[in-house]
This record gives sequence, structure tokens and C-alpha cells, in this order.
Amino acid sequence: MKSAAWKYSWLTYRRDALWFPPALWGLFVMIVLIMRHPAVRFNLARGYLGFIVPLISGIMAAYAVLDDPALELRFATPVRAGQTLLARLGLVMAVQAACAFSFQLFLLALKVDLSPLGGLLGVQLAWFLPTLSLIALGTAGSLAGAQTTMGAFLVGAVWLVQVMMKSWLEANAKYLHLFLGALVPGDPDLALNQCVLLLGSMALLFFSWALLHRQERFI
Amino acid sequence: MIQITGLTKTYGRGAKAAPALRGIDLQIGSGMFGLLGPNGAGKTTLMRILAGIVNPSRGALRVAGHDLTTDAGKRAVKSVLGYLPQELGMYLELTAAQFVDYMAILKGLDEPRERKRRVAAVLEMVALQESADRKIKGFSGGMKRRVGIAQALVNDPRLLIVDEPTAGLDPEERIRFRNLLVNLAVDRTVILSTHIVEDIGQTCRDIAVLAQGRILFRGSPAEMTEAAGGHVWNVTSARLEQPEQGLTVTSMLHLTDGIQYRLVGPRPEAFPHAEAARPSLEDGYVWLMKSALQ
Repeated sequence: MKSAAWKYSWLTYRRDALWFPPALWGLFVMIVLIMRHPAVRFNLARGYLGFIVPLISGIMAAYAVLDDPALELRFATPVRAGQTLLARLGLVMAVQAACAFSFQLFLLALKVDLSPLGGLLGVQLAWFLPTLSLIALGTAGSLAGAQTTMGAFLVGAVWLVQVMMKSWLEANAKYLHLFLGALVPGDPDLALNQCVLLLGSMALLFFSWALLHRQERFI
Repeated sequence: MIQITGLTKTYGRGAKAAPALRGIDLQIGSGMFGLLGPNGAGKTTLMRILAGIVNPSRGALRVAGHDLTTDAGKRAVKSVLGYLPQELGMYLELTAAQFVDYMAILKGLDEPRERKRRVAAVLEMVALQESADRKIKGFSGGMKRRVGIAQALVNDPRLLIVDEPTAGLDPEERIRFRNLLVNLAVDRTVILSTHIVEDIGQTCRDIAVLAQGRILFRGSPAEMTEAAGGHVWNVTSARLEQPEQGLTVTSMLHLTDGIQYRLVGPRPEAFPHAEAARPSLEDGYVWLMKSALQ
């Protein structure tokens, strides 16, 4: 995509939705500053990166494609479905990545140790893969139901079930556990879990791409 | 330019199936083409199919040689298409120039200098050059429509589809808009879909009337007007009376000696002094719709 197209993707995205990630970022920064115990700070960092960033990303993704006032005009242009997904979801991912990276820099400045989550790559995968998974789920849900609330509801429900059933998932379905990287970073099956999350996300994004070809469902 | 054969569109399935178009056959050449019909006739569905947004259920559809039932054909048509939908959604936080520029990018105008030139040209064409850097949220309904037509023209389309473009415009804006469309139709195909008979009469030489998903009439406005010949009556009555069944009142004028009705239908038996009137295009449309429903 050309830089001008990215600029307009940014300018046409819902302003109120864009305030949400930095607002939560600010909230967690303040809480981390208030809480001085290293273990508490680590848990807050894990909570923000591994749980909050994916949840907000998934909800934003549910609205990203269909919550567009000029959707019919966009559909009448030769823009491909893949380009639309890239422009809208790329922006969500970029905003969340900026929040995640800046939060890590802030933690680094406070000397909060993130090594229990693994090395540098392990820390990044702990937030990136659940984020990608919930982005894909939110997009596919809203496109399959042809309404944004469907995607947002699906993301919220899956997130809640995964949080509430984390022990059961660890014991019985760890490959489908969204938060294994954040909760049990030393699990021997983590790599397989990460592969499943990546492939599942790709499958959902492919499904979204196919759905987006049936434009009449969305106008 | 456009060849439509046996075009059918049904929304939903089974018991919930709602037919929108029922076997449309139509050929449209260059110039201004008017599509007239009541609300719910299927006009917007036809426009959306021609714009490559809605898929037909059955039938063949070719625009400038491209098959609109295939993905490749749709993309080819969309690259030469200008589209102004009935419900024009816009990014209100953008300025007029930014909005048109963004649509130009989506339409594949990648070269920045050429794009800037085109954006300035189309905004001038719709007399918005002075307001190019103002946010759309501050625009009137007419100005928003003009931004809509500017975005439709930014890729210099061979086919321009405008769906109910004058809805909500004041009389002056409507006239300006109609004149603009006529000028644009000199070297391209412009399809104007509307339920406002006057807009069609002032702009099109070639029209079709769509009702309940079928083409009821195809020809010129003059031919449609002539079809009502001998079926239009002027009647003056001292009392306010309901016209007979089978007659449609197209206008009522309160005079000092009573009310003058303009009626479309068979000779009104209750008014022996009824005078035959010269039909207008609107009378022709009303007669056509009455005939079709009988």
C-alpha cells in the first residue's frame, strides 16, 4: 500500500476507537508506577501485554472493516478484498504494536524483569499471537454475521472463556490456549501452541477474505 | 456499452425469498439513460448490480465488453466506473479535497501529481474549488452531493451511475445537478435512477420504467407521454369529491368556483363536462403504472 493510502486509513478510522488503546496504556502505566513490588509489576505487565492488548485488538478488528460510512463507495472501487483487510487490520495491529512496544520500553526504564516470559522473541510472541488470533476472530465474526457487534461479542466471549477456563485448557487443550505464552511460557508444547494459533489466525483471515468478496451482504 | 439479458435477482432463500428483479432485458448505449420507477421497484438493486457490488441470481450482464458475473470482469468495470449511491456515506472529518483524493487512490490513481490535478479539476467541475479545504461535516446536503459526484468523476469514468441523486436537494441545486449530468453525458454513459419524473424528463432521451422488478416501458419520454393521450382529464367541481374508481388525481387546484382536478384514467362518467387534457410526462408515467397494475 502507498503511504497516502495509509494516511487516509488512519484519518478515516473512528477517532473514538483510536483513543481506547492509549487510554488503557496510560491506565496500566499509572498502576505500574503505583505498585512497587517487582512480582506485582511483572503480573501487571503480563496482564497488559498478554490479555488486554489482544482483547482490545479483537474488539477493534470487529469494527474495523464494516464500521465504515463510505463502505458502498469503497465496494464500487476496484480495491481488492485483501487490500481492504490489510489497510483496516494493519492499522489496528500497528496501533496495538506501538502500545505494546512503548509499554515494554517503559518497563525497561523501571527495570521490570520480563525474562520469565522468555527471551525477547518469547515476550513478543506472548502478546502478538493472541492479538493476531483475536483480530482474526473479530474480523471473521463480524463478516460472517454481517454485523460488527457479532465479532465483538465473539471476541469477548472467547476471551472470557479462555481466562476463566485457563487451568482446564492447560490440562486438556493447550494447543488452543490463547494465553499459554503469557501464563506458562516454559511449557514444552508452547511452540506447537504458537503454530496452531498462527495457522488458526491465517485460516480465519482467509475466511474473512473470502467473505469480503460477497459485498452485497454488508450494504 | 451495457447489455443485460434475463437478469434476475432474488434476496433470501426458500419461504423468505424476495424477488427484486425478474428477468430484465436491457441495452444501454452512450449518453444519458433514465431509469424511472416507484420506491421498491428494484432500481437500486439494478444500479448495485451494474456497479459490481451485488451479484445477480441469474442472467447475463456485460459492461463495455466485460462480464460482470466474474471477479475479473467486475474489477475491470469498476476501474471505469463512477458511482454515486442513493445513501451517500462519507468521511465527515475529511476535507472535500482529501475525500476525493482518497477515493482516487482507491480507484487506482497512483501518480500523486496527476491525482492532485484530477482532484482539483473535478472539484472545480462541481463548483467546490472554494470549499476544497473545508471539512465535509460543515457542508449542506447539496454540497455533499456535489462532493459525491466529484468522487464519482475523479477517475474520468466511462460509465457513471447515479442513484436518486437529487433527493433532498433544493430546486436550485436540483437544476444545477441535472445540468451537470447532461454535460457529463456528452462523452460517456450516464445512468440516472430516480423516482422523480421531472428529473428524467429534463435530462434523458432514452428511458426505462421499472416496477416490481420488471421493465414496463422502454423508449423516449415523448413516447411515454403520448401513451397517456386520451386518458388525461381536467374537471372542475364545486364540491370536494372523491374521484371515481379507476381514476388517479395527479393534481388539485383550488379555484374561486371550486376545485380543478387533473385526472388520469378512463373518461370520468360522473363529470360529463370533463375536458380532455394534453398529457405530461408525469401523466404518462401514472397511466403506465395504472395500466401495469390492472
